[in-house]
Amino acid sequence: MQVMCLEFLSSQVWLETFLIGRDFWFVLKTCRIFIEISYCCSYIWGFCRSEDSRMADELYNKVRILCWVMTGPKNLETKTRHVKYTWSRHCNVVVFMSSVDDPDFPTVGLGTKEGRDQLYWKTIRAFHYAYEHYANEADWFLKADDDTYVIVDNLRWILANHTPDEPIYFGRRFKPYTKQGYMSGGAGYVLSREALRRFVEGFKDKVCTHTSSVEDLAMGQCMEKVGVLAGDSRDTAQRETFHPFVPEQHLTAKFPKSFWYWSYCYYPISEGPKCCSDVSVSFHYVDATGMYMLEYYAYHLRAFGYRYRYQPPTPKAYRAELPNPWDSIKLLVNKLG
Amino acid sequence: MRPISVTFTIGLIFGYLSLRLLLTSMFPIELVSDSVKNEKNQLDAYNIHTEANQKTSSAENPPNSARILCWIMTGPRNLESRTKHVKQTWGKHCHHILYMSSVKTDFPTVELNVSEGRENLYWKTIRALQYIHQHHQDQANWFLKADDDTFVVIENLQYILSKLDPEKPLYLGRRFKPFISQGYMSGGAGYVLSKEALRRFVEGFQTGQCTHFSTIEDMALGKCMETMKVEPVDTRDVKGRQTFHAFPLDHYVIRQLPRPRPWHMIYDYYEPNEGPNCCSDFIVSFHYIYAVQQYVLEYFTYHLRPYGYSYRFRPDEIVEANNKTNKGG
Repeated sequence: MQVMCLEFLSSQVWLETFLIGRDFWFVLKTCRIFIEISYCCSYIWGFCRSEDSRMADELYNKVRILCWVMTGPKNLETKTRHVKYTWSRHCNVVVFMSSVDDPDFPTVGLGTKEGRDQLYWKTIRAFHYAYEHYANEADWFLKADDDTYVIVDNLRWILANHTPDEPIYFGRRFKPYTKQGYMSGGAGYVLSREALRRFVEGFKDKVCTHTSSVEDLAMGQCMEKVGVLAGDSRDTAQRETFHPFVPEQHLTAKFPKSFWYWSYCYYPISEGPKCCSDVSVSFHYVDATGMYMLEYYAYHLRAFGYRYRYQPPTPKAYRAELPNPWDSIKLLVNKLG
Repeated sequence: MRPISVTFTIGLIFGYLSLRLLLTSMFPIELVSDSVKNEKNQLDAYNIHTEANQKTSSAENPPNSARILCWIMTGPRNLESRTKHVKQTWGKHCHHILYMSSVKTDFPTVELNVSEGRENLYWKTIRALQYIHQHHQDQANWFLKADDDTFVVIENLQYILSKLDPEKPLYLGRRFKPFISQGYMSGGAGYVLSKEALRRFVEGFQTGQCTHFSTIEDMALGKCMETMKVEPVDTRDVKGRQTFHAFPLDHYVIRQLPRPRPWHMIYDYYEPNEGPNCCSDFIVSFHYIYAVQQYVLEYFTYHLRPYGYSYRFRPDEIVEANNKTNKGG
């Protein structure tokens, strides 16, 4: 970017020298040169400050995620509170969905009872609530449990390759019972705005109904009926990003061949180090202590000066057009003043 | 007007070219060109990190010539259950690594002529350091001791050591205050001796100034260090957070309800923090990391990260930027 700008500038300068003879154009051209120099400088300035935070800020604004956490009154103190203090802070919007309203926490009351058989009712009502209240504030709608840990920045990386107008949803893909597969509930799944709209319309038109209390499967069947695509959430090295278990189990455990996991996963399972992407998005069955530990491990712990072998490619949403030179000047003036 | 305009333009071109020269020397093109980087990223994205036999770039090109020899205190019983995993994870990041045991094997382990058991730990330490001094003292300028259940991030240790002089008698680790007036370093969290400190330790035993007066290895070594005038170093980061840890993370990062303080908090030389400020971003070690946990910590340190995230704690921004460019960022 900056090299292109400097190259452009040098060619511009040579061009200008030919035209410099004309007194009338002289002043205008030199002004343009100065503007372009300052545009380059402000670009470099932005780089000097912190190139990375521009990317994170830009993705935060471009890929707006609403996280809703499935919880209940019993878990607020023991589990949900820790979600509130750790990963949910990185979402653009977070809503805690429970069966009862609790203005202190705060949680939204969905008007259901508690219990495993109520899970799909809660999901339906929660998505309807999110659509009614937040359809304009968010582009993507993530469902997570109160024992799921989500690295929202990595979710943004995956989603930045798609637009919220695509009818698509992402998660840990399972294959049985459906044609295109469905997403594991515990590992979390995220719907685009279009997918959410189709979900809500599906219920209005009775295309989708409360078919069963197995929330993730029923969700997957509804998605199939309304024409929402089940996306591939793996990274460019074919490693999974949504995980239905804790990191220890994925990285080190040898699941017995009779375990259901083997027959459920849509994509081939890797055990050991290739199980999990460098830009993993979620882990499930994380307890309260685990929330703080994962927050530390993900957002703090690193090796100084270490160059990561896997470099995730820049997502399409970030490969932005050149910024408007006037914006860059304003930026430079702000920083100087 | 014409001669003046020509002079002005020549001056402008000259200024632009010198600015460009200055900027490109300060900020190499690799960092500056996003479009080039994208192509490189596409290629790199197909390089999957395998755990098999790959030395990392950090071991090959230490940022500031801190060459570390790691020696692991282990025994025949633990080779399969613990030491093997150390060898396959963080052991690869050391420049040299030695496994000290009572029996010579093809692992490879070094035979120390000491029997196993907690009561022989200090004898093992003494013999190990003497062995290293005799055979390996020129291979490194810092000597790290770790257990087979310690997890160490060598790059972060190098970062700390890059600011210190190995010819000075220095001693680093998790500093405890009881028993020794200048403090001693916890054995489990791992400790590092400089080249000079190792020389003085061996000399201390040769001259009889240091003796095997106790079986408590870390405390006894601390006493020898004090006798031989080896200085303990404050290894906390610029925010006062600890880098060496005698327990796994959950002992420190979870704020507990008020309770009688556990022994390790009472022993801490520097005022301990519980909660998020316990531990530096650039930790050096955790202890009681058994077997498969080593792989989990390796994943968290060298793989898992939030995409595009700008870390708040960046102590030496210029140093980090230079390191990244040297390795082709």
